[in-house]
Amino acid sequence: MSDKIGVFVCYCGGNISDFVDVEKVKDTISGEEGVAFAKTNMFTCSDSAQTEMINAIKEKNLDGIVIASCSPKLHLKTFQNMAQRAGLNPYQYTQVNIREQCSWAHTHNKEAATEKAIDLVRAGIAKTRNSIPLNPLRVNTVNQALIIGGGISGLRCALALSEMGIFAHVVEKESKIGGNLNDIGIIFPDHKNGYELIEELEKDIKKRANINIYTNAKLIKKQGSVGNFECDIVSGNEKLTLNVGSIILTTGFKPYTPEPNELGYGHPNVITLVDFKKLLSNNSKKGELIFNGQRVREITYVYCVGSRESTKEDGNKYCSRYCCSAANYTSLLAFDIDPKLKQYHIYRDIRTYGKYEEYYEENLRRGALFFKYDEENPPDISSKGERIKILVKDRLIAKDDILIPCDLLVLVNGMVANENAELNNILKTPIGKDKFYNEIHPKLRPVETVIDGIFIAGTSQGPKNISESVTSSMAAASKTASLLIKGYVNIEPTIAHVIEEKCTGCKLCEHSCPYEAISFVNKTDKVIADINPAICKGCGGCVPDCPEDALEVLGYTHSQINSMIDSMLLEAKEC
Amino acid sequence: MIKVNSGLIDKIKIDENFNASACFNCGTCSALCPVGFDILPRKLFRYVLLGDEEKILESTDQIFSCLLCRMCEEQCPQEVNITENIRLIRSYLAKSKLGV
Repeated sequence: MSDKIGVFVCYCGGNISDFVDVEKVKDTISGEEGVAFAKTNMFTCSDSAQTEMINAIKEKNLDGIVIASCSPKLHLKTFQNMAQRAGLNPYQYTQVNIREQCSWAHTHNKEAATEKAIDLVRAGIAKTRNSIPLNPLRVNTVNQALIIGGGISGLRCALALSEMGIFAHVVEKESKIGGNLNDIGIIFPDHKNGYELIEELEKDIKKRANINIYTNAKLIKKQGSVGNFECDIVSGNEKLTLNVGSIILTTGFKPYTPEPNELGYGHPNVITLVDFKKLLSNNSKKGELIFNGQRVREITYVYCVGSRESTKEDGNKYCSRYCCSAANYTSLLAFDIDPKLKQYHIYRDIRTYGKYEEYYEENLRRGALFFKYDEENPPDISSKGERIKILVKDRLIAKDDILIPCDLLVLVNGMVANENAELNNILKTPIGKDKFYNEIHPKLRPVETVIDGIFIAGTSQGPKNISESVTSSMAAASKTASLLIKGYVNIEPTIAHVIEEKCTGCKLCEHSCPYEAISFVNKTDKVIADINPAICKGCGGCVPDCPEDALEVLGYTHSQINSMIDSMLLEAKEC
Repeated sequence: MIKVNSGLIDKIKIDENFNASACFNCGTCSALCPVGFDILPRKLFRYVLLGDEEKILESTDQIFSCLLCRMCEEQCPQEVNITENIRLIRSYLAKSKLGV
């Protein structure tokens, strides 16, 4: 409980004071219960104002503060830190938003904006008055990580963790590691075969004592929380439990499989890019490209198959990123085998971004022809025996229709997410509309998920080429290290709390928690709910489900919320 | 409708310098052409690459009207040897079609 509260009301240099009578707000609330000091500031967030507030807190022995200014999204941390420097508990500080919620929202009515500001500040004072000091929770971490998926991202991540002294367990569902790279053929930009890259990594991994690889394996159960997960896995016939500090999902992608008859798919001479790459790496005859025993002279590629389907319902709306570069690179590989080949590329937009633009330029120089099509007018495919005929509207010259006869049609297929239904059910990892895993923030927190301690990397998150996948797996490795190397994690104390005397153990709250933080424990005379502090996010979802009011969120306790409502309704009561 | 005839290009491309395929159809050349035929040289090259002999023959007058002034070639972002290409097309037409 705070009964010597300091209230600071901000002008925000006119942003607030132009529409809210800041002085009136200060004068009105200075008589509120518990308020020992009230003041206005031109810019509360400025260094000088912060120093003044710290001095005021110390001189007047204040035990709680309220700042009426902007959104807590902007300055909650700023002022919590200021409170801490002044020797106060940061959770006895309340920020009231009278800028976004009053001055900016009600520019047409200054009086009402001022009234609203007064009500909100009064509620803030009530909240601080009923606050209790809280301290961050500390959880010890285990210096091991579980990587799910043994493709290039998972393996590279394991090596990075091993270098930092973190034990890495890699769980691979197939009988051998390597994932999609095992049979992808020759890959850009270093002209190696995919399996060679995997062999290199495998050699390196074998030298290390702190990487374990489990094949034919899957996760079957997860318990615990950030820093200390208990994971049950099955590998072949063996069942084992791993104790790890974090989990990294590198479950990868699968190549899009065209529907039967989609752009002629199903005809023996219509194949996907992935299959064409396999064909190229197995082609032994120099100077001739052989398909099904026949020499191939003319090849057509159709791009964006299974990607950018903006008009198709439930279509894949995203661009698969890697395919333009891969198709152009593959076309060059085919020219290397037989420079006399005729190659036709039917594309929507060429996105050979960055360094890979060279592949496109090189194809132009070597005589490949490019035709642009729109999604509304896809190329029309027909066949006569082994010959394929493609009719496409050429947008480059007078919109003529062009008929391209060829021996082989390559569908440049994109990436789709692996479904992993069982795994997702265990981990509850958030999945986007595109069925790939969702990060917290695409720019600022690209490898973290909303579940603390669970990271995503590689193509499990969305289409990426190999270097991008490895980059993100390195990021996930360093995020894991920054979590585990310290040996402990601090957790926000604003989490749910069980009022033991009130709880009857009715278990109604059990299913209200989206994070499964609630379990039930035996106390001397009864069974009651128990919150795992490391899993709870403080969302408050369980609070209204409790018929006995036995659950509350610290920092938003029943007494705080009730007193806030009462003080906002003060005028209404008086009428 | 144009049917792609991949054989024609091999007949015209007797010289390594023929590099019309580097063209990415930006149209700078057509905009600069002082003669102002709309087929020169962008569409012409496209027809040659597609192997549409009929369209090329229809444009014989335009092909021989090119001044070879190199205005387009100077400005071509893809460094296509435009005048050399025109010469090679003329030579093909003269030998195989016009009986010169």
